[in-house]
Amino acid sequence: MGRVLEVVGASKRFLGLQALKEVHLHLEEGEILAVIGPNGAGKSTLLNLLSGLLRPDSGRILFLGQEITHLPPEARTHLGLGRAFQIVQPLPELTVRENLMVGALFGKPRVRRKEAEAWVEEVLRLTGLEGRAEALAGDLTLLEDKRLELARALATRPKVLLLDEVMAGLRPKEAEEAVALVRRIRNAGVTILFIEHLMPVVRALADRVVVLDYGEVIAEGTYSEVAGNPRVREAYLGRQT
Amino acid sequence: MRGANHLPLILLFLPFALLPSLPLGGWGAFLLDVGFFVLLFTALALSWDLVARTGQLSLAHGAFFGLGAYGAGLLAPQVGTLPALLLGAAVAGAGALILGSVTLRLHGLYFAIASLAFSEVLRTLALKLPFTGGPIGLPVPPPFGGTWPLAAYYLSFSVLLLATALSLWAEKSPFRLAQAATRQSEAVARVLGVRVIRVKLWSLLLGSWVAGLAGGVYGMKTLFLSPYDAFSLGRAVEALVIPIFGGLYTTLGPLVGGVVLVSLEQALRLWIKEGYLVVYGAILILVILFLPRGLVGILGRRRG
Repeated sequence: MGRVLEVVGASKRFLGLQALKEVHLHLEEGEILAVIGPNGAGKSTLLNLLSGLLRPDSGRILFLGQEITHLPPEARTHLGLGRAFQIVQPLPELTVRENLMVGALFGKPRVRRKEAEAWVEEVLRLTGLEGRAEALAGDLTLLEDKRLELARALATRPKVLLLDEVMAGLRPKEAEEAVALVRRIRNAGVTILFIEHLMPVVRALADRVVVLDYGEVIAEGTYSEVAGNPRVREAYLGRQT
Repeated sequence: MRGANHLPLILLFLPFALLPSLPLGGWGAFLLDVGFFVLLFTALALSWDLVARTGQLSLAHGAFFGLGAYGAGLLAPQVGTLPALLLGAAVAGAGALILGSVTLRLHGLYFAIASLAFSEVLRTLALKLPFTGGPIGLPVPPPFGGTWPLAAYYLSFSVLLLATALSLWAEKSPFRLAQAATRQSEAVARVLGVRVIRVKLWSLLLGSWVAGLAGGVYGMKTLFLSPYDAFSLGRAVEALVIPIFGGLYTTLGPLVGGVVLVSLEQALRLWIKEGYLVVYGAILILVILFLPRGLVGILGRRRG
């Protein structure tokens, strides 16, 4: 066990808005870490800093002991840092299998086609998308979209997977299936950091929870620890008068 | 399209391969001229599509064409036909790298505007530079010293075969997925590990080489270049209308579109003479309205 991902004092400001302020965070190998917080707390900004779609104004990001603060997204993916998006972004004119092939072929440098094809079959099975492999990604249902989003990130063979509210919009029954899928992914050896609004999902999945509010980490611990934390209650419910 | 059969391609190319040997009598020379332009502009259209597959909507293909035309035209007297054509294509490629490296972050329409500005700048340069002949124009020697009347026709054919080979390669290899992912969402493509910048630059470079070759051959056929003709925006527009007409992001689409549309244009010009563009425009609009996926869209979903 060790720290696979570490954020050291990262700050990000958008014009007048301090989206993240001196955030310190780490991810242990093999764990599932949830990052929660009210709307606008900076969760998505954090994920964008981690996956390289944004650069921090200050602070550093380390992945497997290597500084990646200024690496572009594709280089981070090649190192083994995968990401699924909140707003599902399929490549709509490609089939499900082709969507996964993009991740499998380019997720690591110099992957052979045969290798990628075999891996895609495995990912299709793991995510229950075998039956929809030839469907155009633009024609999927929301649940299938979410699965594709996960599957595509998985196709890049990540060591660490960043999930951005992948359960949003799912019915409870569907969310349960998705929770089971995330567990399967972790059991396959992938460390997971996820952002989530649905507390039942956080409780079911997270080994550890980090709470953000106004861009700052206000609490950290197991689900029951942070749920009992007065600062967290205040952030979610407002100050009780 | 893996394992697709090449029958449509062969059927498409066969008439052009046979054309020079057909007993056409008085029509022969005219039809060879038409065939020359059909082949050349189809190659240009295919080179446009090759770039468009990454989401870069180029209005610079008229400029790549012009760079190739002037490059080859200026060098042909010194170095000979084939080296001049290759060097012309290299000049077009240099232009593409310059355009590509300043537009790395641009996509779709924004790239189109930047590429339009690029081609305006180049036309102005062709007008003002001391060695281009300026507005008077530049005489170009015929290919291979004019010893072989069919040379330009076969050069044009070769450029199209090269464009087709490149396009087929791009379609069958993993490059297709890299291009398609880049076009549909750059952020997603990058997070999936696609080296988006490299994919965009290579596509632009390949497209500009073909467009530059086409331009070089064009000059050797018309024997004269002027900035307004060689760098014409109309040609850049034709390069994008053909793939839209035939079917975007495929090899067959621009090929069918080019053969049909350029032939149609020539035929209408012959039959209707003045005002033929009205009919041409009406046909274009009808096809785009009723066949949003182009002529090859009729053949059904192209997904395999």
